[in-house]
Amino acid sequence: MYELTLCHLYPDLLNLYGDRGNIIALRRRAQWRGIRMHVVPVTLGDAFQAQNYNIVFLGGGQSYEQEIIQKDLISQKGNEIKEAIEAGRVFICICGGYQLMGKFYRTAEGRDVQFLDALNLWTVEGEDRMIGNLLFECDFLKDGGGDHRIIGFENHAGRTYLGKGITPLGKVIAGFGNNGEDGFEGARYKNVFCSYSHGSLLPKNPRLTDYLLLTALQEKYKDIETLSPLDDCLENKAHDTMIKRVSG
Amino acid sequence: MKGIKLTSTILLSKIIIKGLRMIKRGGTSLPGKIANKLCPGILKDIASNFYIIMVTGTNGKTTTSRIIEQILKETGTSYIANRSGANLLSGITTTFLQSVNLHGRSSVSTALIEIDEAAFKAVTVFLEPDILVVTNFFRDQLDRYGELYSTLKDVAAGISKTRKTRLILNADDSLCVSLARDSQKSVIYYGFAPEAYLDAKASENADASYCLYCQTKYTYTNKVYGHLGGFACPGCGYRKPDCHVVCTQVEAITGSHSVIRFTVDDGLLPSCDGRNAYTAKINLPGLYNIYNSLAAISCGVSLGISMDKILYALASFENGFGRMETIKARDRELKVILVKNPAGFNQVLDYLVTDEQTMRLAFAINDNLADGTDVSWLWDVNFEKLSAAAERIDGLFVSGIRAEDMALRLKYAGLDTKKIELIKDYGALIEKGLSSMKEGETFYLLPTYTALLDMRKFLKKKFNLKEFWQ
Ligand SMILES: [Zn+2]
Repeated sequence: MYELTLCHLYPDLLNLYGDRGNIIALRRRAQWRGIRMHVVPVTLGDAFQAQNYNIVFLGGGQSYEQEIIQKDLISQKGNEIKEAIEAGRVFICICGGYQLMGKFYRTAEGRDVQFLDALNLWTVEGEDRMIGNLLFECDFLKDGGGDHRIIGFENHAGRTYLGKGITPLGKVIAGFGNNGEDGFEGARYKNVFCSYSHGSLLPKNPRLTDYLLLTALQEKYKDIETLSPLDDCLENKAHDTMIKRVSG
Repeated sequence: MKGIKLTSTILLSKIIIKGLRMIKRGGTSLPGKIANKLCPGILKDIASNFYIIMVTGTNGKTTTSRIIEQILKETGTSYIANRSGANLLSGITTTFLQSVNLHGRSSVSTALIEIDEAAFKAVTVFLEPDILVVTNFFRDQLDRYGELYSTLKDVAAGISKTRKTRLILNADDSLCVSLARDSQKSVIYYGFAPEAYLDAKASENADASYCLYCQTKYTYTNKVYGHLGGFACPGCGYRKPDCHVVCTQVEAITGSHSVIRFTVDDGLLPSCDGRNAYTAKINLPGLYNIYNSLAAISCGVSLGISMDKILYALASFENGFGRMETIKARDRELKVILVKNPAGFNQVLDYLVTDEQTMRLAFAINDNLADGTDVSWLWDVNFEKLSAAAERIDGLFVSGIRAEDMALRLKYAGLDTKKIELIKDYGALIEKGLSSMKEGETFYLLPTYTALLDMRKFLKKKFNLKEFWQ
């Protein structure tokens, strides 16, 4: 039996926009295929040992809560996280969790708050929040000819910019994405997947969910090539209905 | 000059209110909106002679206001009150406009105002409450309200501008209590005694688990639900304050009512009859309505109303006024419960799984502005709870603009997808839900706000209802 262990980082602090839904989706889609998934919460003061986990999930929080974890994240868990990223571990970072992986966050007053600096990207606080449904397309989901469009919801004041070595997760079709300027959404580096999209992201986008699961499985087991198909009737209906609405 | 402007604005507003009534549009905000445009600050002029009771908070403000209203009715007090659809500046202005004469004076002296927590700060510029009841702070539609802590900050800023306001606060909510910590105001706290209720499986996904002042994780003597309970910060000592109105025991909690024992601080009782412990039957189901009742009791006591009248009001409170409407259709029952955020929705689910009858459930989820355009909160609701009652659920319907998202949520909660039926048309949904129902079975409709409004039109016609909600 295949087994995966997912580390939910700071679940008591970073749990803002239905982040639970992403974990539920990963867990169920593994379970329906007979793959056991353990979910381990790791929070302030807990030790984080990357080798214990196949997937690390970091969600979004309110700025007050992000402040609380900042020190713990950088000084207690930072090095382990960086090593795990280089080793190809799967990371899923949403919204605030995405920003925290970057170098810094520049506040509206021009003050730079140091973040983890695990990825070459940074965020600048903007005046207006970018809120609404977000539709983007991911090239890496094109294989097999299925729908490679991702639908979610974004709500962020930060504008994120990608530096050298970081590729965007996708191209925006409708919505703002990273910064509302360059037409890109999210970030990808090795097996780190970052997005501003919640809503929740994974339940309605099963192809992405399966891609993440397969990547994590392949990283652990060398003999697995594909995942068995599931009945995605309800998933596709939710996905397609919103895309139709958003693209008008 | 000002007097003329005031009079002409009031006159015009009254004409608009009449006109809207004649065309059967219950427009509650338009007259106030126009009046505020024509005569900025008009609310201050027309509300200055009222004794004002205000109720705000994320959940329970409507029910709490309605219970207080019932208490006022018991005492024969004449009052004006707004409705939940009119709890922003314009709607509140309209409520006062309806009551005053052309000189801005009214024969009524008490105003009971439910106010949206996001509008509180702006309204306190014109309206200073004599009593302010704050029920709780939970995450609500974040896309509209911004973050929870900024809402809290705004309410605190509104309070700091007031001079005479007496606060009535939920002592089990660390966010609520912070409103009084740094102010010199007179406060009445209400809450649960640690032994009265303990939720063994209190959720991890709670708001506000860390101290507002020093960011240490709170410890709890007891959790009632969400982050509500006997909190204490090991870091700086910030903790649940002593309560004046305390629920000491929950004797019964059923699908239709609860019975509680509670005590009231001697200093608050108008006449000392040697008694300060009482038993109340609350004619509303659910744990959250015990909090709402404690808030209303505190308000009643603070107004000097006798306990007999308060207890009578709690026991005789009509469900129809609250956020649950029961409609009898021959031997079958249809219940409508508004859902709007995870904390409230979880409480509704808790209530559903305590019901022992067979039931049908319909979820109608919209994503209009008033519902919140972001439906990700559905993933923070523990629909997994329903699987404990799965064998008693003989029908699951999803409806509303986001019916597909709701269906998906139920699938991932582990419910049988064969039972899930998607019906977008409310008429068809209600017909189907009521058809071939077993005797004694209940059909629950759980709509978000705008879905409720649309559904109501249909229910009103079908069941010939006169006053349904509002
Ligand atoms: Zn503290």
